Amino acid sequence: MLEMEAVQYKGFRNLYNEAGEAIGFQVAIRFVAYRGPWLSQFRFGNVEVDGEKFGPDKCTFIINGVEYTYDEMATLGRVKWPLKEACMIRVQKPGGLAQGSHRVSVLYKEVASYVPARMDEIPEDGKMFGHSEAQGFIRDMIIV
Amino acid sequence: MQAPQKPGIHRGVSTYCWYPLYNVNMDLEDSMEIMQDMGAHGIEILADGIIDGYPYPSKEWLNKWFALCDHYEIVPVEYGHWVESRLYRGRECTVEESLEQLIHDIKLASYMGFTCMRTKLGVIDEILTPTQIWRDVIRKALPYAEKYNVVMQPEIHAPTKLTDQMIMDYVEFIEKEDTQFFGFNVDFGTFQYRAADGMPSFRPFDPSKPEDIIPLLPYIHCCHAKYYNMSEDFDETTIPYVEVVNIMKEHGWNGYLLSEYEGMHKENYNHCMTQVKRHHVMLKRLLGE
Repeated sequence: MLEMEAVQYKGFRNLYNEAGEAIGFQVAIRFVAYRGPWLSQFRFGNVEVDGEKFGPDKCTFIINGVEYTYDEMATLGRVKWPLKEACMIRVQKPGGLAQGSHRVSVLYKEVASYVPARMDEIPEDGKMFGHSEAQGFIRDMIIV
Repeated sequence: MQAPQKPGIHRGVSTYCWYPLYNVNMDLEDSMEIMQDMGAHGIEILADGIIDGYPYPSKEWLNKWFALCDHYEIVPVEYGHWVESRLYRGRECTVEESLEQLIHDIKLASYMGFTCMRTKLGVIDEILTPTQIWRDVIRKALPYAEKYNVVMQPEIHAPTKLTDQMIMDYVEFIEKEDTQFFGFNVDFGTFQYRAADGMPSFRPFDPSKPEDIIPLLPYIHCCHAKYYNMSEDFDETTIPYVEVVNIMKEHGWNGYLLSEYEGMHKENYNHCMTQVKRHHVMLKRLLGE
């Protein structure tokens, strides 16, 4: 089952290498929508944790067990991110996240051809659709 | 596959009403049970989000679909899908790329028993004018729609009005092609004359008039019975339902009115259920059921 929120609590944890060193963390997102995007229509700004931003160069995306870079996704117009599946974002951050509470924001959207093209891309400052604030999906979560 | 439709106006529901709740609080079967409770037998699915494995569902899932429709007395009415024009950054899809999407959905919709499709085309401007290649795409898809017996219908959605040039273009196309396999789904939001209480309004209201629908009725196979706010005494407070439905009745229109909730608190299960039940109390009264 999915959680109602866009940012999922399930899956939020640090990632470790074979030596047991934390090399990053992961966080899952879903589309609170009526369809999932074709991978080429996914638009990603960043994952932001406690004010630190991680862009597409620091992230990979796992959908139905297959890991993609953001650039790879841009070429895949006939592969679907199913609506009922969360996408796990793996974020590179040496040392991982500290134990305790974090404010996690993920900035992303999908391209929809049935609305005007000016809405396709995420602006640099994340202020989409005329909002005065960046429109990331925010959730407060705990690393154990 | 379905028995011939009885004349008259029938009630149904679009799964759009409950979209944030799917895979969280409810599933397709729950929707069908609720529809049966209300005697609203026609369903619109948004294929992408409802069909497991879309666009390639398993035989097992399709068999489950047929069993559920049978058990809950559900009539597949409209298959909602999109023809994406901006699939890749920096360019529009070709006619061939558009057709590939469309023909696949025509075949799947038909197999699942649907008779209409809500065919959402890519747009090029603020008033939602479809891509320049739409005529070519639809013309080349018509033989498939005919073979598989499904009607392609763009949704006429606010801010588009029923008197806009786009609608004239569609009518001209239908008459020129002499086809019954292309029509419209009129979204009742085009008649909305004020914002629902508490809802932000992004544009001034310049609604279609209820009578504007009259010349278009022959081309309409089902409608999105949009609702934003159903009051405790079963009135929709932003759309002139009485006038619109009475006109459709008087002109002998046959087809399905598919509930489509676009109001507030869509993440709240109780609220959405209350709204849809109120909507069907209103529709039953208006239709004299």
